Amino acid sequence: MARDALNRKMDRLLLLEEQGRLSGNTTNRTLRKIAANPLAIIGLVLFLILLLACMAAPLISTYGPNAIDLRNRLSPPSRAHLLGTDQIGRDIFSRILYGGRISIFVGLGSALGAALIGVSLGTYAGYRRGALDALVMKVSEIMMSFPQIILVSILVTIVGQSLWNLLLIFILTGWPSMYRMARSQMLSIREMEYIQALQAFGIGSFTISFKHMLVNAVGPIFVNITLSTAMFILQEAALSFLGLGVPLEQATWGNILNVAQDLNILRGAWWVWLPVGLVITLFVMAINFIGDGLRDAADPTQVG
Amino acid sequence: MISFIIRKFLLLIPLLLVISFLIFLGMELMPGDAVDFMIPPDALATISQAELDLLRSELGLDAPFLVRYGTWLVNLVQGDFGYSLQSGVAVSSLLANTLPATLELSLAALVLSTLFGSILGVVSALYKGRLSDNVLTVMGMIGVAIPQFLFGLIMIVVFVFKLGWFPVGGRLTVGNEAFLQRLDHLILPSVVLALSMTAGVMRYCRSSMLDSLNKEFIKTARSKGLPPWRVNLVHGLRVAMTPVAVLIGFRLPMLIGGSVVIEQVFQWPGVGQMFVSAVRSQNTPIVMMVAFFSVLIVLIASILVDIATALLDPRVKLS
Repeated sequence: MARDALNRKMDRLLLLEEQGRLSGNTTNRTLRKIAANPLAIIGLVLFLILLLACMAAPLISTYGPNAIDLRNRLSPPSRAHLLGTDQIGRDIFSRILYGGRISIFVGLGSALGAALIGVSLGTYAGYRRGALDALVMKVSEIMMSFPQIILVSILVTIVGQSLWNLLLIFILTGWPSMYRMARSQMLSIREMEYIQALQAFGIGSFTISFKHMLVNAVGPIFVNITLSTAMFILQEAALSFLGLGVPLEQATWGNILNVAQDLNILRGAWWVWLPVGLVITLFVMAINFIGDGLRDAADPTQVG
Repeated sequence: MISFIIRKFLLLIPLLLVISFLIFLGMELMPGDAVDFMIPPDALATISQAELDLLRSELGLDAPFLVRYGTWLVNLVQGDFGYSLQSGVAVSSLLANTLPATLELSLAALVLSTLFGSILGVVSALYKGRLSDNVLTVMGMIGVAIPQFLFGLIMIVVFVFKLGWFPVGGRLTVGNEAFLQRLDHLILPSVVLALSMTAGVMRYCRSSMLDSLNKEFIKTARSKGLPPWRVNLVHGLRVAMTPVAVLIGFRLPMLIGGSVVIEQVFQWPGVGQMFVSAVRSQNTPIVMMVAFFSVLIVLIASILVDIATALLDPRVKLS
């Protein structure tokens, strides 16, 4: 049954090819596969809506993220304050928007930074092997044997709490997994025949690895960057919830949630913590959908 | 087998030396030394520099870096993990007080997530494309995306405040200290801690199970006329479980990390809570010792994963 259907599909394709109608389709195959994946599209739309809303925070919200209104403390959602106010009268809705800017920046920035270091090292060391590879591999092994949150907390204690420090620490603790991923890609690519051809031409290893090999590993790298972004956003939230992340003066998604440690707020003022928690969950889910969609689209064994 | 295990544990020693050195280096880099913390601030104003130097040399703080590292390491091996900078209590006894609570919580979460993750994953794979598979897949996506502590907060509001089924936080109610009486304290935190790992194990187990059900030997087993449950649960599951066991081993650091956050949410008196307050107050010896032991646990777990893989998959040779 299935084979018949496949044969019929092939026949149709051959017919189209004979009529010269197939060549008109020049759009990228990967893009087409993503566009056909409903979850990935939902994820992308959700991601863009949240991202744009946060970027346009001053246009959407009339309150500043740290504007204090002592007459309206812990007031429930109303027309004046869409999502109510927190314990010192700051507007939750605008704090979520402004906080999103920093949280997304930390997540995306850390993932890109970690990818920059990890992928460059992995690309070169994965192709050259030898002492450099062995050394970096050992370093990454040591770093990955620490539970992430414990390593991050130690580094926070050493360098102190600030937005930029957190970003640096995330990059510092995030590159080993990127390195391993890029390295394993390189290890399989370097066995391909075109690499031998390039070597026979006497092309330098730097050019071979970065110009000719990296392009073939771009798919998994992008998947990894999206999924790491989600992970870093969750980590920022957890650390800030513990009071170890971005300093509390700055609104971030995690810092808004921090007050939920107070049992009275937890019990009586759901609008302070529940909406921002849902926003984090939605955003992370959107990124995961995009990542999963990219993974399927970049996989040549799946028909699109 | 035995020689493999011994060799693995011997290889652990150089790695632990490097890590202990890094941890000592970290302690050195942290602001302030032991003397600054030992002397109350008002006494520090009246004390002279000469007296401070004397105190430092008595404590061995003026010795070269490597000598200090050596002394610290020897103490470590002898079971002297240093002292809390705030209370002066030995870190070893602080750990002895908090470790059982954390182990209890983590083990409960590990058992829950392994059990539910694999069962739900198998169900999802066997009913692929049906309603139950779709529902489980969506739940898995949410489980991976929701911050663990948020899930914990929601659980507290629903089951403690609204329904009143469980007590608020803590590990035991005074007077009711037997295990069964403590169970109601344990249920919520362990379920919350298990959530994201359950979701991960489930997703992984589903695809691994689907993979193994497509293999040739499953066709052979079916054509021999074995009952479906035997084909699925004995022949299919055994092969599917190998990558799942590896995943569970690799997720162990996440479990330890997760317990740091969850203990805070549920006021669970474990190592994680001690760790967070130590980080906040820059109580270096505690921070570093917790880090050291969590690394030790992770490394030992990875050896156990190797062994488990070999037991599950006869093709894997330990070498």
